[in-house]
Amino acid sequence: MEQPVQTETWKAQSLEELIRILHQIFAEDKVSVEEVQALMESYESNPEEWLQYAKFDQYRYTRNLVDNGNGKFNLMILCWGEGHGSSIHDHTDSHCFMKILQGNLKETLFEWPEKKGNGEMTKKSERVLRENQCAYINDSIGLHRVENISHTEPAVSLHLYSPPFNTCNTFDQRTGHKHKVTMTFYSQFGERTVC
Amino acid sequence: LPAGLSQWFPALEVLDVSGTGLTEMGTELLSLPCLHTLLAKNNRLGGPGSLPKGLEQAPLARSLRVLNLSGNRFSEVPPVVLQLRGLRSLSLGGNRLHGIPPDIQELHSLEFLYLGGNFITAIPPELAKLPSLRYLVLCDNKIQSIPPQLAQLHSLRSLSLHNNLLTYLPREILNLVQLDELSLRGNPLVVRFVRDLTYNPPSLQELAGRTIKTRNVPYTPSDLPESLVRYLSLASNCPNPKCGGVYFDSCVRQIKFVDFCGKYRLPLMHYLCSPECSSPFSSASQSSTSQSESDSEDEASVAAHRMQKVLLG
Repeated sequence: MEQPVQTETWKAQSLEELIRILHQIFAEDKVSVEEVQALMESYESNPEEWLQYAKFDQYRYTRNLVDNGNGKFNLMILCWGEGHGSSIHDHTDSHCFMKILQGNLKETLFEWPEKKGNGEMTKKSERVLRENQCAYINDSIGLHRVENISHTEPAVSLHLYSPPFNTCNTFDQRTGHKHKVTMTFYSQFGERTVC
Repeated sequence: LPAGLSQWFPALEVLDVSGTGLTEMGTELLSLPCLHTLLAKNNRLGGPGSLPKGLEQAPLARSLRVLNLSGNRFSEVPPVVLQLRGLRSLSLGGNRLHGIPPDIQELHSLEFLYLGGNFITAIPPELAKLPSLRYLVLCDNKIQSIPPQLAQLHSLRSLSLHNNLLTYLPREILNLVQLDELSLRGNPLVVRFVRDLTYNPPSLQELAGRTIKTRNVPYTPSDLPESLVRYLSLASNCPNPKCGGVYFDSCVRQIKFVDFCGKYRLPLMHYLCSPECSSPFSSASQSSTSQSESDSEDEASVAAHRMQKVLLG
Protein backbone atom coordinates (compact mmCIF):
# COMPACT_ATOMS: atom_id res chain seq x y z
CA MET A 1 0.00 0.00 0.00
CA GLU A 2 1.31 3.42 -0.94
CA GLN A 3 2.42 5.81 1.75
CA PRO A 4 -0.19 8.54 2.00
CA VAL A 5 1.08 12.04 1.33
CA GLN A 6 1.69 13.77 4.62
CA THR A 7 -0.76 16.58 4.88
CA GLU A 8 -0.07 19.40 7.26
CA THR A 9 -2.41 22.08 8.46
CA TRP A 10 -0.97 25.33 7.28
CA LYS A 11 -1.97 28.84 8.24
CA ALA A 12 -0.76 31.52 5.87
CA GLN A 13 -0.61 34.82 7.72
CA SER A 14 0.04 36.90 4.64
CA LEU A 15 0.03 36.63 0.87
CA GLU A 16 3.81 36.49 0.89
CA GLU A 17 3.74 33.60 3.34
CA LEU A 18 1.10 31.83 1.25
CA ILE A 19 3.35 32.03 -1.78
CA ARG A 20 6.35 30.86 0.22
CA ILE A 21 4.48 27.81 1.53
CA LEU A 22 3.15 27.04 -1.94
CA HIS A 23 6.68 26.96 -3.29
CA GLN A 24 7.57 24.58 -0.50
CA ILE A 25 4.61 22.28 -1.16
CA PHE A 26 5.16 22.19 -4.92
CA ALA A 27 8.85 21.46 -4.55
CA GLU A 28 7.82 17.95 -3.46
CA ASP A 29 7.02 15.16 -5.93
CA LYS A 30 3.54 14.62 -4.62
CA VAL A 31 1.12 17.41 -3.80
CA SER A 32 -2.15 16.93 -1.96
CA VAL A 33 -5.15 18.77 -3.32
CA GLU A 34 -6.72 18.96 0.14
CA GLU A 35 -3.55 20.49 1.56
CA VAL A 36 -3.39 23.21 -1.06
CA GLN A 37 -7.09 23.96 -0.72
CA ALA A 38 -6.83 24.21 3.06
CA LEU A 39 -3.76 26.44 2.77
CA MET A 40 -5.47 28.78 0.31
CA GLU A 41 -8.53 28.93 2.51
CA SER A 42 -6.46 29.66 5.62
CA TYR A 43 -5.13 32.93 4.19
CA GLU A 44 -7.37 35.74 5.35
CA SER A 45 -7.65 38.18 2.51
CA ASN A 46 -5.94 41.49 3.22
CA PRO A 47 -6.42 43.95 0.35
CA GLU A 48 -3.27 45.89 1.26
CA GLU A 49 -1.27 42.81 0.31
CA TRP A 50 -2.79 42.30 -3.13
CA LEU A 51 -4.11 45.67 -4.25
CA GLN A 52 -1.08 46.17 -6.48
CA TYR A 53 -2.11 43.15 -8.57
CA ALA A 54 -5.81 43.99 -8.71
CA LYS A 55 -6.09 45.85 -11.99
CA PHE A 56 -9.61 46.10 -13.29
CA ASP A 57 -10.76 46.51 -16.87
CA GLN A 58 -14.00 48.25 -17.68
CA TYR A 59 -15.20 45.70 -20.23
CA ARG A 60 -14.24 42.26 -18.91
CA TYR A 61 -12.53 40.34 -16.16
CA THR A 62 -8.73 40.51 -16.01
CA ARG A 63 -6.01 37.95 -15.20
CA ASN A 64 -3.07 39.33 -13.29
CA LEU A 65 -0.07 37.07 -12.73
CA VAL A 66 1.31 37.16 -9.22
CA ASP A 67 3.81 34.29 -9.15
CA ASN A 68 4.93 31.65 -11.64
CA GLY A 69 5.86 29.04 -9.06
CA ASN A 70 9.19 28.02 -10.60
CA GLY A 71 7.26 26.55 -13.48
CA LYS A 72 5.19 24.27 -11.22
CA PHE A 73 2.15 26.51 -10.90
CA ASN A 74 0.72 29.86 -11.86
CA LEU A 75 -0.73 32.06 -9.14
CA MET A 76 -2.87 34.89 -10.40
CA ILE A 77 -5.46 37.40 -9.29
CA LEU A 78 -8.63 37.83 -11.31
CA CYS A 79 -10.61 41.06 -11.15
CA TRP A 80 -14.29 40.97 -12.00
CA GLY A 81 -16.27 44.16 -12.51
CA GLU A 82 -20.01 44.20 -11.90
CA GLY A 83 -21.72 41.72 -14.21
CA HIS A 84 -18.44 40.29 -15.58
CA GLY A 85 -18.38 36.58 -16.23
CA SER A 86 -16.36 33.93 -17.96
CA SER A 87 -17.44 31.52 -20.66
CA ILE A 88 -17.84 27.84 -19.80
CA HIS A 89 -14.34 26.43 -19.90
CA ASP A 90 -12.16 23.42 -19.12
CA HIS A 91 -8.77 23.36 -17.37
CA THR A 92 -6.49 21.61 -19.83
CA ASP A 93 -5.79 18.65 -17.52
CA SER A 94 -4.60 20.91 -14.72
CA HIS A 95 -5.68 21.46 -11.15
CA CYS A 96 -7.50 24.73 -10.50
CA PHE A 97 -7.94 26.36 -7.12
CA MET A 98 -10.02 29.51 -6.79
CA LYS A 99 -10.18 31.58 -3.60
CA ILE A 100 -12.37 34.65 -3.18
CA LEU A 101 -10.44 37.68 -1.95
CA GLN A 102 -13.26 40.21 -2.19
CA GLY A 103 -16.93 40.10 -3.07
CA ASN A 104 -18.70 36.96 -4.30
CA LEU A 105 -18.48 34.76 -7.37
CA LYS A 106 -21.07 32.35 -8.70
CA GLU A 107 -19.70 29.05 -9.97
CA THR A 108 -21.93 26.97 -12.26
CA LEU A 109 -20.74 23.41 -12.94
CA PHE A 110 -21.51 21.69 -16.24
CA GLU A 111 -21.21 18.13 -17.48
CA TRP A 112 -18.89 17.55 -20.41
CA PRO A 113 -20.96 17.61 -23.59
CA GLU A 114 -21.52 14.32 -25.47
CA LYS A 115 -19.03 13.59 -28.23
CA LYS A 116 -21.49 14.09 -31.03
CA GLY A 117 -23.82 16.13 -28.93
CA ASN A 118 -25.75 18.98 -30.41
CA GLY A 119 -27.92 20.02 -27.54
CA GLU A 120 -27.98 22.31 -24.56
CA MET A 121 -25.25 21.55 -22.03
CA THR A 122 -26.32 20.03 -18.72
CA LYS A 123 -25.95 22.10 -15.60
CA LYS A 124 -24.74 20.03 -12.67
CA SER A 125 -24.90 22.52 -9.85
CA GLU A 126 -24.26 26.11 -8.93
CA ARG A 127 -23.15 27.92 -5.81
CA VAL A 128 -22.08 31.34 -4.67
CA LEU A 129 -18.60 31.46 -3.19
CA ARG A 130 -18.08 33.93 -0.35
CA GLU A 131 -15.00 35.83 0.75
CA ASN A 132 -12.08 33.59 1.71
CA GLN A 133 -13.73 30.40 0.49
CA CYS A 134 -11.62 28.28 -1.87
CA ALA A 135 -13.07 26.06 -4.59
CA TYR A 136 -11.32 23.33 -6.55
CA ILE A 137 -11.95 21.91 -9.99
CA ASN A 138 -10.25 19.75 -12.59
CA ASP A 139 -11.37 18.25 -15.90
CA SER A 140 -12.57 15.00 -14.34
CA ILE A 141 -14.97 16.94 -12.15
CA GLY A 142 -16.39 18.88 -15.04
CA LEU A 143 -16.52 22.30 -16.63
CA HIS A 144 -17.55 25.54 -15.07
CA ARG A 145 -18.60 29.13 -15.64
CA VAL A 146 -17.56 31.74 -13.11
CA GLU A 147 -19.34 35.07 -12.86
CA ASN A 148 -19.72 38.12 -10.67
CA ILE A 149 -23.48 38.39 -10.51
CA SER A 150 -23.42 41.53 -8.40
CA HIS A 151 -24.55 44.73 -10.06
CA THR A 152 -22.99 46.83 -7.33
CA GLU A 153 -19.78 45.17 -6.13
CA PRO A 154 -16.63 44.19 -7.99
CA ALA A 155 -15.04 40.88 -7.03
CA VAL A 156 -11.44 39.71 -6.74
CA SER A 157 -10.27 36.10 -6.72
CA LEU A 158 -6.94 34.30 -6.30
CA HIS A 159 -6.32 31.39 -8.66
CA LEU A 160 -3.72 28.67 -8.63
CA TYR A 161 -3.25 26.44 -11.66
CA SER A 162 -0.93 23.47 -11.69
CA PRO A 163 0.65 22.69 -14.07
CA PRO A 164 0.45 26.14 -15.66
CA PHE A 165 -1.43 26.39 -18.98
CA ASN A 166 -2.24 29.19 -21.38
CA THR A 167 -4.82 27.62 -23.65
CA CYS A 168 -8.16 26.06 -22.83
CA ASN A 169 -11.47 25.30 -24.49
CA THR A 170 -14.56 27.45 -24.19
CA PHE A 171 -17.99 25.90 -24.70
CA ASP A 172 -21.24 27.21 -26.12
CA GLN A 173 -23.92 26.44 -23.56
CA ARG A 174 -26.60 26.01 -26.23
CA THR A 175 -24.79 23.49 -28.41
CA GLY A 176 -21.85 22.09 -26.46
CA HIS A 177 -19.49 23.02 -29.25
CA LYS A 178 -16.00 23.88 -28.08
CA HIS A 179 -13.49 26.41 -29.24
CA LYS A 180 -9.84 26.62 -28.26
CA VAL A 181 -8.66 29.93 -26.87
CA THR A 182 -5.37 31.38 -25.71
CA MET A 183 -5.42 33.18 -22.41
CA THR A 184 -3.36 36.28 -21.76
CA PHE A 185 -2.34 38.26 -18.73
CA TYR A 186 -3.59 41.78 -18.18
CA SER A 187 -0.64 42.37 -15.89
CA GLN A 188 2.32 40.41 -14.59
CA PHE A 189 3.90 40.89 -11.19
CA GLY A 190 1.99 44.15 -10.80
CA GLU A 191 2.98 45.62 -14.17
CA ARG A 192 0.44 46.15 -16.91
CA THR A 193 1.18 43.91 -19.90
CA VAL A 194 1.07 45.84 -23.14
CA CYS A 195 -0.41 43.72 -25.96
CA LEU B 1 -25.44 64.67 3.34
CA PRO B 2 -23.96 66.48 6.31
CA ALA B 3 -24.72 70.17 6.44
CA GLY B 4 -21.72 72.34 5.71
CA LEU B 5 -20.12 69.72 3.44
CA SER B 6 -19.59 72.21 0.65
CA GLN B 7 -18.32 74.80 3.09
CA TRP B 8 -15.62 72.60 4.57
CA PHE B 9 -14.64 70.89 1.32
CA PRO B 10 -15.30 73.34 -1.50
CA ALA B 11 -12.75 71.69 -3.78
CA LEU B 12 -14.26 68.22 -3.43
CA GLU B 13 -13.84 66.18 -6.63
CA VAL B 14 -14.84 62.69 -5.53
CA LEU B 15 -17.64 61.94 -3.09
CA ASP B 16 -18.43 58.39 -2.03
CA VAL B 17 -21.50 58.00 0.17
CA SER B 18 -22.17 54.38 -0.73
CA GLY B 19 -23.70 52.09 1.85
CA THR B 20 -24.80 54.84 4.22
CA GLY B 21 -28.57 54.29 4.11
CA LEU B 22 -29.23 57.65 2.49
CA THR B 23 -32.79 58.30 1.40
CA GLU B 24 -32.00 61.62 -0.17
CA MET B 25 -29.02 63.71 -1.14
CA GLY B 26 -29.63 67.29 -0.21
CA THR B 27 -28.79 70.75 -1.33
CA GLU B 28 -25.15 70.43 -0.27
CA LEU B 29 -24.58 68.89 -3.70
CA LEU B 30 -25.55 72.13 -5.38
CA SER B 31 -22.55 73.98 -3.97
CA LEU B 32 -19.81 71.56 -4.96
CA PRO B 33 -18.38 73.14 -8.14
CA CYS B 34 -15.52 70.70 -8.69
CA LEU B 35 -17.29 67.40 -8.12
CA HIS B 36 -16.65 64.98 -10.99
CA THR B 37 -17.39 61.63 -9.33
CA LEU B 38 -20.40 60.86 -7.15
CA LEU B 39 -20.78 57.32 -5.81
CA ALA B 40 -23.99 56.65 -3.91
CA LYS B 41 -24.56 52.93 -4.40
CA ASN B 42 -26.34 50.65 -1.95
CA ASN B 43 -28.48 53.28 -0.30
CA ARG B 44 -32.22 53.83 -0.05
CA LEU B 45 -32.51 56.41 -2.79
CA GLY B 46 -35.39 56.28 -5.21
CA GLY B 47 -38.09 58.46 -3.75
CA PRO B 48 -39.06 61.85 -5.15
CA GLY B 49 -36.55 63.88 -3.13
CA SER B 50 -33.55 61.67 -3.83
CA LEU B 51 -31.71 64.30 -5.79
CA PRO B 52 -31.95 67.98 -4.85
CA LYS B 53 -34.08 70.43 -6.79
CA GLY B 54 -32.12 72.78 -8.97
CA LEU B 55 -29.44 70.22 -9.74
CA GLU B 56 -29.69 70.99 -13.45
CA GLN B 57 -28.60 74.57 -12.79
CA ALA B 58 -25.85 73.71 -10.35
CA PRO B 59 -22.19 73.65 -11.42
CA LEU B 60 -22.44 69.88 -10.89
CA ALA B 61 -24.54 69.59 -14.04
CA ARG B 62 -21.50 70.46 -16.10
CA SER B 63 -18.70 69.04 -13.96
CA LEU B 64 -20.01 65.59 -13.04
CA ARG B 65 -18.44 62.79 -15.07
CA VAL B 66 -19.24 59.65 -13.07
CA LEU B 67 -22.50 58.88 -11.27
CA ASN B 68 -23.10 55.54 -9.59
CA LEU B 69 -26.56 54.99 -8.17
CA SER B 70 -26.54 51.19 -8.32
CA GLY B 71 -28.21 49.17 -5.57
CA ASN B 72 -30.90 51.69 -4.75
CA ARG B 73 -34.67 51.81 -5.26
CA PHE B 74 -35.16 53.88 -8.37
CA SER B 75 -38.19 52.82 -10.40
CA GLU B 76 -37.32 55.28 -13.14
CA VAL B 77 -34.23 57.13 -14.25
CA PRO B 78 -34.48 60.42 -12.35
CA PRO B 79 -35.17 63.05 -15.03
CA VAL B 80 -32.63 65.45 -13.53
CA VAL B 81 -29.88 62.89 -14.21
CA LEU B 82 -30.52 63.33 -17.93
CA GLN B 83 -29.50 66.96 -17.58
CA LEU B 84 -26.00 66.20 -16.35
CA ARG B 85 -24.50 67.13 -19.68
CA GLY B 86 -20.93 66.18 -18.95
CA LEU B 87 -21.72 62.69 -17.67
CA ARG B 88 -19.42 59.98 -19.04
CA SER B 89 -20.40 57.09 -16.83
CA LEU B 90 -23.81 56.25 -15.38
CA SER B 91 -24.68 53.22 -13.33
CA LEU B 92 -28.18 52.34 -12.19
CA GLY B 93 -27.58 48.61 -11.83
CA GLY B 94 -29.69 46.71 -9.32
CA ASN B 95 -32.57 49.16 -9.07
CA ARG B 96 -36.23 48.80 -10.02
CA LEU B 97 -36.26 50.37 -13.46
CA HIS B 98 -39.00 49.25 -15.82
CA GLY B 99 -37.78 51.18 -18.82
CA ILE B 100 -35.22 53.57 -20.26
CA PRO B 101 -36.37 57.11 -21.04
CA PRO B 102 -35.87 58.22 -24.67
CA ASP B 103 -34.31 61.40 -23.32
CA ILE B 104 -31.28 59.31 -22.41
CA GLN B 105 -30.00 60.64 -25.72
CA GLU B 106 -29.44 63.99 -23.98
CA LEU B 107 -26.33 62.54 -22.32
CA HIS B 108 -24.15 63.21 -25.36
CA SER B 109 -20.88 62.39 -23.64
CA LEU B 110 -21.96 59.09 -22.14
CA GLU B 111 -19.41 56.30 -22.62
CA PHE B 112 -20.43 53.81 -19.98
CA LEU B 113 -24.02 52.85 -19.16
CA TYR B 114 -24.77 50.09 -16.66
CA LEU B 115 -28.43 49.12 -16.32
CA GLY B 116 -28.06 45.45 -15.40
CA GLY B 117 -30.31 43.87 -12.80
CA ASN B 118 -33.51 45.83 -13.32
CA PHE B 119 -36.95 45.05 -14.80
CA ILE B 120 -36.46 46.71 -18.16
CA THR B 121 -38.69 45.25 -20.89
CA ALA B 122 -37.76 47.32 -23.92
CA ILE B 123 -34.98 49.50 -25.27
CA PRO B 124 -35.88 52.83 -26.86
CA PRO B 125 -34.23 53.39 -30.26
CA GLU B 126 -33.09 56.78 -28.95
CA LEU B 127 -30.47 54.93 -26.93
CA ALA B 128 -28.64 54.54 -30.23
CA LYS B 129 -28.09 58.28 -30.39
CA LEU B 130 -25.24 58.19 -27.91
CA PRO B 131 -22.21 58.63 -30.17
CA SER B 132 -19.58 57.94 -27.54
CA LEU B 133 -21.16 54.91 -25.89
CA ARG B 134 -18.58 52.17 -25.55
CA TYR B 135 -19.93 49.93 -22.84
CA LEU B 136 -23.61 49.04 -22.53
CA VAL B 137 -24.83 46.62 -19.88
CA LEU B 138 -28.42 45.40 -20.06
CA CYS B 139 -28.01 41.95 -18.52
CA ASP B 140 -30.49 40.50 -16.03
CA ASN B 141 -33.53 42.36 -17.28
CA LYS B 142 -36.74 41.37 -19.11
CA ILE B 143 -35.85 42.61 -22.58
CA GLN B 144 -37.67 40.90 -25.43
CA SER B 145 -36.11 42.57 -28.42
CA ILE B 146 -33.31 44.85 -29.48
CA PRO B 147 -34.18 47.73 -31.79
CA PRO B 148 -32.19 47.54 -35.03
CA GLN B 149 -31.17 51.18 -34.55
CA LEU B 150 -28.80 50.02 -31.83
CA ALA B 151 -26.41 49.13 -34.63
CA GLN B 152 -25.78 52.87 -34.96
CA LEU B 153 -23.72 52.81 -31.78
CA HIS B 154 -20.47 52.97 -33.71
CA SER B 155 -18.29 53.29 -30.63
CA LEU B 156 -19.77 50.29 -28.86
CA ARG B 157 -17.09 47.87 -27.71
CA SER B 158 -18.96 45.76 -25.24
CA LEU B 159 -22.62 44.79 -25.10
CA SER B 160 -23.99 42.71 -22.27
CA LEU B 161 -27.39 41.12 -22.93
CA HIS B 162 -27.27 37.91 -20.95
CA ASN B 163 -30.25 36.70 -18.92
CA ASN B 164 -33.04 38.46 -20.79
CA LEU B 165 -36.01 37.31 -22.86
CA LEU B 166 -34.53 37.63 -26.34
CA THR B 167 -35.61 35.13 -28.95
CA TYR B 168 -33.65 36.70 -31.81
CA LEU B 169 -31.40 39.62 -32.65
CA PRO B 170 -31.70 42.20 -35.40
CA ARG B 171 -29.39 41.36 -38.28
CA GLU B 172 -28.00 44.90 -38.04
CA ILE B 173 -26.08 43.76 -35.01
CA LEU B 174 -23.48 42.48 -37.48
CA ASN B 175 -22.72 46.11 -38.30
CA LEU B 176 -21.20 46.82 -34.91
CA VAL B 177 -17.63 46.57 -36.15
CA GLN B 178 -16.02 47.85 -32.96
CA LEU B 179 -17.68 45.21 -30.81
CA ASP B 180 -15.24 43.08 -28.81
CA GLU B 181 -17.62 41.49 -26.34
CA LEU B 182 -21.19 40.31 -26.68
CA SER B 183 -22.90 38.17 -24.07
CA LEU B 184 -26.11 36.39 -24.99
CA ARG B 185 -26.38 33.42 -22.64
CA GLY B 186 -29.57 32.89 -20.68
CA ASN B 187 -31.86 34.06 -23.48
CA PRO B 188 -34.48 31.83 -25.09
CA LEU B 189 -32.96 32.28 -28.55
CA VAL B 190 -34.95 30.35 -31.12
CA VAL B 191 -33.13 27.45 -32.64
CA ARG B 192 -35.40 26.68 -35.51
CA PHE B 193 -36.48 28.72 -38.46
CA VAL B 194 -39.45 30.91 -37.73
CA ARG B 195 -41.36 32.70 -40.39
CA ASP B 196 -43.39 35.60 -39.15
CA LEU B 197 -45.92 36.50 -41.76
CA THR B 198 -47.56 39.25 -39.78
CA TYR B 199 -47.37 42.49 -41.62
CA ASN B 200 -49.15 45.48 -40.17
CA PRO B 201 -49.89 47.98 -42.91
CA PRO B 202 -47.96 51.18 -42.41
CA SER B 203 -49.59 54.17 -40.76
CA LEU B 204 -50.06 57.43 -42.67
CA GLN B 205 -47.21 58.88 -40.62
CA GLU B 206 -44.97 56.03 -41.70
CA LEU B 207 -45.91 56.39 -45.36
CA ALA B 208 -45.25 60.13 -45.23
CA GLY B 209 -41.96 59.51 -43.46
CA ARG B 210 -40.89 56.96 -46.05
CA THR B 211 -41.66 59.34 -48.89
CA ILE B 212 -39.72 62.19 -47.31
CA LYS B 213 -36.70 59.98 -46.83
CA THR B 214 -36.66 58.15 -50.14
CA ARG B 215 -37.42 61.23 -52.22
CA ASN B 216 -35.04 63.38 -50.19
CA VAL B 217 -37.71 65.95 -49.52
CA PRO B 218 -35.79 68.75 -47.81
CA TYR B 219 -36.84 69.91 -44.38
CA THR B 220 -35.37 71.84 -41.49
CA PRO B 221 -36.09 71.49 -37.77
CA SER B 222 -38.16 74.65 -37.95
CA ASP B 223 -40.49 73.11 -40.55
CA LEU B 224 -41.76 70.36 -38.31
CA PRO B 225 -42.68 69.70 -34.68
CA GLU B 226 -39.71 68.32 -32.74
CA SER B 227 -41.38 64.94 -32.34
CA LEU B 228 -41.59 64.48 -36.10
CA VAL B 229 -38.00 65.60 -36.61
CA ARG B 230 -37.00 62.90 -34.17
CA TYR B 231 -39.25 60.36 -35.86
CA LEU B 232 -37.62 61.01 -39.22
CA SER B 233 -34.18 60.50 -37.74
CA LEU B 234 -35.13 56.99 -36.69
CA ALA B 235 -35.55 55.64 -40.21
CA SER B 236 -33.89 52.31 -40.91
CA ASN B 237 -32.65 51.29 -44.32
CA CYS B 238 -34.13 48.25 -45.95
CA PRO B 239 -31.36 45.64 -46.18
CA ASN B 240 -32.33 44.74 -49.70
CA PRO B 241 -29.66 46.59 -51.72
CA LYS B 242 -31.96 46.79 -54.72
CA CYS B 243 -34.66 48.45 -52.70
CA GLY B 244 -33.12 51.55 -51.20
CA GLY B 245 -36.26 51.98 -49.16
CA VAL B 246 -36.62 52.87 -45.52
CA TYR B 247 -39.00 51.83 -42.80
CA PHE B 248 -39.91 53.10 -39.37
CA ASP B 249 -42.19 50.78 -37.41
CA SER B 250 -43.92 48.83 -40.11
CA CYS B 251 -41.96 46.04 -41.67
CA VAL B 252 -41.92 42.40 -42.57
CA ARG B 253 -39.91 40.27 -40.19
CA GLN B 254 -38.10 37.09 -40.99
CA ILE B 255 -35.79 35.17 -38.70
CA LYS B 256 -32.83 33.69 -40.45
CA PHE B 257 -29.89 31.95 -38.99
CA VAL B 258 -26.37 33.13 -39.49
CA ASP B 259 -24.00 30.25 -39.36
CA PHE B 260 -20.63 30.58 -37.66
CA CYS B 261 -18.55 27.91 -39.31
CA GLY B 262 -21.07 25.23 -38.39
CA LYS B 263 -20.60 25.84 -34.69
CA TYR B 264 -23.01 28.55 -33.62
CA ARG B 265 -26.28 29.51 -35.19
CA LEU B 266 -27.47 32.94 -34.21
CA PRO B 267 -31.06 33.78 -35.02
CA LEU B 268 -31.03 37.17 -36.66
CA MET B 269 -34.13 39.10 -37.47
CA HIS B 270 -34.28 40.56 -40.92
CA TYR B 271 -36.55 43.53 -41.35
CA LEU B 272 -37.76 44.22 -44.84
CA CYS B 273 -39.74 47.28 -45.73
CA SER B 274 -42.54 45.38 -47.44
CA PRO B 275 -43.59 41.85 -48.39
CA GLU B 276 -42.54 42.55 -51.96
CA CYS B 277 -38.98 43.13 -50.87
CA SER B 278 -36.82 40.05 -50.64
CA SER B 279 -33.91 39.53 -48.29
CA PRO B 280 -30.54 40.21 -49.97
CA PHE B 281 -29.38 36.85 -48.72
CA SER B 282 -31.77 34.46 -50.35
CA SER B 283 -34.70 34.22 -52.70
CA ALA B 284 -38.14 34.67 -51.26
CA SER B 285 -39.14 31.16 -52.18
CA GLN B 286 -37.10 29.21 -49.61
CA SER B 287 -39.17 26.74 -47.70
CA SER B 288 -39.21 26.73 -43.97
CA THR B 289 -37.62 23.32 -43.73
CA SER B 290 -34.82 24.00 -46.16
CA GLN B 291 -31.38 23.03 -44.91
CA SER B 292 -29.80 26.10 -46.40
CA GLU B 293 -31.12 28.50 -43.83
CA SER B 294 -27.62 29.68 -43.24
CA ASP B 295 -26.67 32.79 -45.18
CA SER B 296 -23.98 32.22 -47.72
CA GLU B 297 -23.68 35.86 -48.75
CA ASP B 298 -20.11 37.12 -48.45
CA GLU B 299 -20.94 40.20 -46.39
CA ALA B 300 -22.85 38.18 -43.83
CA SER B 301 -20.25 35.46 -43.48
CA VAL B 302 -17.37 37.90 -42.99
CA ALA B 303 -19.28 39.75 -40.30
CA ALA B 304 -20.38 36.46 -38.81
CA HIS B 305 -16.82 35.18 -38.63
CA ARG B 306 -15.81 38.27 -36.74
CA MET B 307 -18.80 37.90 -34.44
CA GLN B 308 -17.74 34.37 -33.60
CA LYS B 309 -14.73 35.71 -31.74
CA VAL B 310 -16.86 38.21 -29.91
CA LEU B 311 -19.59 35.89 -28.67
CA LEU B 312 -19.37 34.76 -25.08
CA GLY B 313 -21.29 31.50 -25.03
